[in-house]
Formats: sequence, structure tokens, C-alpha cells
Amino acid sequence: MADQPPAQNEAMLAWIQEFAPYGVVTTDVDFRVQTWNHWMEIHSEFNSQRAIGRSLFELFPDLIERRLVERFHRALAGEINLLATALHEYLLPLSTTVRESGYQHMRQTARIAPLVLGEQTKGVIIVIEDVTQREFQAAILRTQHERDQILSWALAYLLKARDPRRTIREVFFKVAEHLDFDTYFLYLFEGSTDAIKLHSVGGVPPETEQQLASLPANNSFCGFESESGKALAIGDVQSSSDEKLLIPRQLGIRAYALLPLLVGERKIGTLCFATRTRAVIDKEELGLLSTIAEYLAVALNRESTDLALRDAQQALGEHAKQLEIKVAERTASLKETISELETFSYSLAHDLRAPIRALIGYCDVLVEDYSLTFPEEANAVVQRLLLACGRLDVLTRDLLQFTKVSRQKILLSVVPISEVLADIVSSAPPRLKEALVIHEPLLEVLAQRTLLQQCLVNLFDNALKFVEPGASPQITLWAEKVDVPLRNRALPLPFSPARYLVGGTGGIDTEKPESEIPPKPNPPRVRIWVEDRGIGIPVESQQKVFGIFERGPNYERYEGTGIGLAIVARAMQRMGGSCGVESERGVGSRFWLEFLQG
Amino acid sequence: MELTPAQADALTELINIGYARAAGALSELTGYRISLEVPHVAIYPISEITPLLEEVITSEVASVNQLFSGPISGNAILLLDREAALLLNRLLTNRPEVQIFDGAAREVITEVGNIVLNACLGVFGNLLHVQVNFTVPNLKIDSVREVLKGVTLERQELQYALMIHTRFHMRTNDVSGYLVIILGVVSFDRLVLELKKWEERQLT
Repeated sequence: MADQPPAQNEAMLAWIQEFAPYGVVTTDVDFRVQTWNHWMEIHSEFNSQRAIGRSLFELFPDLIERRLVERFHRALAGEINLLATALHEYLLPLSTTVRESGYQHMRQTARIAPLVLGEQTKGVIIVIEDVTQREFQAAILRTQHERDQILSWALAYLLKARDPRRTIREVFFKVAEHLDFDTYFLYLFEGSTDAIKLHSVGGVPPETEQQLASLPANNSFCGFESESGKALAIGDVQSSSDEKLLIPRQLGIRAYALLPLLVGERKIGTLCFATRTRAVIDKEELGLLSTIAEYLAVALNRESTDLALRDAQQALGEHAKQLEIKVAERTASLKETISELETFSYSLAHDLRAPIRALIGYCDVLVEDYSLTFPEEANAVVQRLLLACGRLDVLTRDLLQFTKVSRQKILLSVVPISEVLADIVSSAPPRLKEALVIHEPLLEVLAQRTLLQQCLVNLFDNALKFVEPGASPQITLWAEKVDVPLRNRALPLPFSPARYLVGGTGGIDTEKPESEIPPKPNPPRVRIWVEDRGIGIPVESQQKVFGIFERGPNYERYEGTGIGLAIVARAMQRMGGSCGVESERGVGSRFWLEFLQG
Repeated sequence: MELTPAQADALTELINIGYARAAGALSELTGYRISLEVPHVAIYPISEITPLLEEVITSEVASVNQLFSGPISGNAILLLDREAALLLNRLLTNRPEVQIFDGAAREVITEVGNIVLNACLGVFGNLLHVQVNFTVPNLKIDSVREVLKGVTLERQELQYALMIHTRFHMRTNDVSGYLVIILGVVSFDRLVLELKKWEERQLT
């Protein structure tokens, strides 16, 4: 400042004195006030006349109490001092400029510096800035921030809670900590009565809880004032003579917030937060508590929905269990019936054999002893009798064979196909040996050896039988691995589109086959193919060909009862496998037997 | 240019005296026991301090600097990394929730810097019998590079930087910072001279 022309200095000085938006005070080396600007006049109780000439410490004795004198001395020694609001609050105790802040004094940031003229220090200069508004604003933001944090915490907590009624207790403690409440009540409607029941309470002696257990919904301190369903702040409880407030008065409550718990339009209860230490609850607090009450209502509603869901699920579970029991009973009874039928047909077939043998026997006797004495017609009749008896015999024999397959105990084991074929071929007629071509390699299957043999024999028999008259039969056999489960297979088309499938999963089995090997979930399977160049099976008949006593269209030309394939089908079913045929009339047939891989 | 061990020791002792005063002022201000320590003092040509400090302070830095003039003149800067400054602010004002440099926090750091710098530079004045004047403390929060850009002196002469690694202890917390004093070669020579004289005075 010493460098500038005097006029400029004077102008600046005048400005500082009159217009500067901060307090400027200068003192001499003994800290007696030399200048006191307009700002200082306004904000302190001293005008410049009264201030100038007096010691700063006399005007503001609390500078001494607050031990700030040292700062002034340092300034005199040449140091510039900054005093932050956060560390000192203020330098000089002046009245607050923001009434709402509730501060007793103006908040200030101050600087104390040496006042130097040429080489000499003439005293100190003090500059004071009013930061009350800034501090008040910051404090508001902080409180808002804290409240936002409480709200988001409460929201997350309540929404996660499995038991909202217990959780409200923890939420209460957190809120109480921040907002200074000491008591809370949670009342819920139970059923369709007009009373609300106490579900959770804090800050009240246990004996009193009894008294508070149930309240009328419409006319109690924690019920609904009106139908509006809005949150209410009730203050000055102690000085009120309202009947409704008797209980809180007795409890020493001075103010409380009444918060309805609503799900949409429906009232499910009320929540009260009460305080014994102050008589007023302000709008912001009520807002915060209202929001928490909303979250609680959502959580409670969700809890009751969850409970209802759980009940429904339980009922459903019970019902399903009942159904299962019924199904099991019916299946058991069905199995019993099937078993009885099988026993019956077995007994029948068995019992028929004896009388049939008798019939044949007597026919033989007639032929042996009386053919010479009988007239020609009589002999012809006897011959026809014999034929018929023979047919009966074959029929019952086949039936017996079929029922045996149904009734016998199955034990599966790993069976090499080649061994079974060797057995068949060793005791087979030359006709079969000539006709059969086997392709290696032959794999292993999980089967019952005797049944497998029976199946192959039956297939061979059919192949040998059902050829064009005069033609020689050709049978080809091979085996292949199949990895795709039965249901998922895209079946190839060698001969004709239609094919007939028997067995696989599904269908009532009287007995599940026992196996030496434990079953796998989607086990690999092996197919044995038996192909012939016989007469083939027309499309319409392919469906029925595995049925009992089903025969093809030209069946009179060929002997047999048609039970061979039925036995194969039943045997495959019992061994947990399946069978089928692909065939074309006039070309031939390909039968396949599918087993689990051995 | 290097400090001889004797010079380094003398300087450390001088700074410690200054720091003791600063610690006393800070302790009284806050009511907590605060102490300041000088673990290390070194001197570097000014061109080297930016990369050096960038290595140890990787985040933004809060700096308070004051120019001083007299027979020994230069620029004194207190540097704290951002997190350390915020921690210091939280501890001094007992407001644990403050996470950013709001107005109040900025003032607090400025005052702390002011107290520390005044204490050290004041010590030069008192003990070395050298009259030193300072400017108003200036707070800048920026990268190390930006902060140091503004502090090199306007003169043409060779400049040195005294790097004084500083540790603040308070309430079981440690905050580290750097006091950097930038001097021209003339001032530095003068400082060394006065230091020697001071030492000699001690011994008599």
C-alpha cells in the first residue's frame, strides 16, 4: 500500500470503511482499536466512536478466555494467522445473522495480520468474514444426508426382513439414536374386529404392556383420529386434557408421531414413535417417520402374503400326497388283477394239456385198433379229429410258453450274443445253418440268457417259415450300439416308413427286472438285427404282428399259431428292452431286439 | 549440491523446534495430543522435486503455501495427499462423516498449514536472528505437478528445494506430509551461514 499514490490509498480506505462486506479492524501495538469499519458497527453493539481507542480485549473479554490473545501477539511478530470456522467457530462474539440456524453467535472465518508501514510494524489488522449462512446450509445438508441414509437403510432392512415385527425394533433403535425418540408402539388389526392389538413395543415397563395389549381402533391414542389416514404429530401431551391421551400422559410421553400403516387404501395397523424429552415433533421428522411406516406396511403385507402362500403350498403338498397314495393303491390292485389273470391263463393252459393228451390218445387208439374196421368216411373223420387235437395241443403249448415268459423270475446278466448263437446253431437243423449269416463283431447285452435264446429262435423260425414257396430262406444277423435314448431317436428308413415298436419305457410291468448291474440314467443300448428275405409284412399288419395269436393275411399257407412274436415282445419287455420290425411286402423283414448294453 | 551431515542435523533440529511450537498450537486448538516429527531432511535442485514427489504422492494433493521475504526469502509449501488431508480434517474437527473438501474443510487445512509454516519460518526468524515476512497462506488442491508449477520463484537464479518429510501423530493416527522450502542459491548460502552461527552459539 505504501507504493500507491495517496489519493488512491484514501479511496481504498474509504471503501474498506464504508462498503466492504466484511469486518475490518486495525489496532496499534497495544491492541487498542484504531479503525472500526461500518460492517463492524452494524454487527457488533459498538459504533466506531465507542470502539476506537479501547483495547480489543476490553471490548471482547472472551478473547482472553478462549486463549486467542497469543494469535494477536504472533501477528505483531510478523505472522499472518488464519482462523478456520470449524476450529474456532468465530473470532469475535457477534450476534447471529441467520436466525433459523439456532446458533448463538455469528460463524466467522478471520485473518489477523501485522500492519506494516515501511520497516515498522504499527499494529495488527483483523478481517472477519461472516460464514453463518454457509455453515447453516452445510449442517442442513448433513442432516438430510443422515436422514436419507437412515431411510435407505430402513428400506433395505425391512424389505429383507423375514419377521418385520421384530425388525421394527432394530429400525426403532436406529431412528431413536438419530432423532431422539425413546418409545414406540406397533398395533395391528387382527381379524375383522374394531380393535387393534399390540404386536411390538419398546421403552415401556413390562407391566404396562398388559394395559396396552388391545385398544379400540377409532378412539384411542394409537388409533385413527379421522378417516384421513395421514400421519399426525401430537405434541404437548402432558399439558393436554384430552381423554384419548390418558395412557401416554401416564407414561410420561411429551410428544409422539402417529403413523398409519396402509396397504393401498386398507389400514393394517398403526405405528407410534414417542419421546419423553421434548414436546414438539417437527415436519421433517414426521416426514421421515411416515416413510419408514410406509416401508414397514409393505414389509408386513409381504409377510402375510408369504404366509398365505406357504399355507397354500402346504395344502397343495398334502393333496398331492393323498393323490399319490390313491394312485399307489390303484396300481397295487391293478397289479394284483394282472397277476391273477396270468396265473389263471397259466393254470388253464396247464390244465387243458391233460384232456388234450387224452383226446389225442383216444384218437390214436381209434387209428391203431379200428382203422381197418372203420368205413373210409369214419377214418377221414378220425384224421380230422387228430389234426384238430394237434392244433389244440400246439395252441395250449404256445399259450403255456407265453404265460411262462410272463410269470418267470427274470435275472439279468451280461450275456455275449455270440455264445447264445453258438448254442442255437449247435442244436439247429441244417436248414438254419445254411440260411444264417452272422456279421461280427457281436456285442454283449444285459439280458436273461434263456429268454434271449428263445427270442432269437422264434425269429429264426419265422424267417425260415415265411418264405415264398420254393425260395430258400436267407437270414442275416448283426449287432450295433445305439447311444441315443429310445424316445429321442430319429428312426432311419430302410424299407418303408411305417414300423412297429414294442416295449421301451412306460406300460405296466408286473415286475421290474432284477439286474446284477445297477442301472444308469441314460445307458447305452445294443440292437440285434435279424433280417430275412421272406414274404414281408404289409404296412397294415405291422402294427399287430407282435400281438398274441395275430397272423399275417396269408396265414393259412403257413403253420404256427402266431404266438412266436408275442413271446418275443413279452420277453423283451420283461428284460427292460424293446423290439420292432421294419418290413416291406415282397422284399423281406428286419426285426430288431434292443437291450441295455452289457 | 548436498547437505553435509552436520548441516542436515542442524536443520532438522531447527525444524523440530518449529514443529514443537506448531504441535503445541494444534494441540491446544483441538484439545488432542498432537505431535510432529521430522524423520528425514534432504536438499534437491528444483527440477528434481516434481518427479520425486509424484512418486510418493500419486493422488491429488492439498497444499498450503506462503511466500516469505527478507534476508532469506523463498516459498514454503506444506503438502498432504488428499486422503491424509481429509483424515486430518476429520480428526481435528471431530466430524467423521466429512468425505469431501467443503468450505469448512478447506479452511481447516489452510489454518493447519498456516500454523505449521508460521512456526517453521518464525523459527528461522527467531533463532537465526533473521527478520522474515510472510504472505497470506494459499490453499490449492490439485495434482502434484500442478501445485508445484505455481510455486517456483520468479527469479532467474538457481533454486533449491529443502524436502522435509513430516509426520503428524494424533489419536493413534499417523498422517504423513512434506514441507518443501524453496530457496534461491543466495538465500540458501545465507541459511547455511546462519545455521553455522547458530550452532556455534549453542556450543558456547
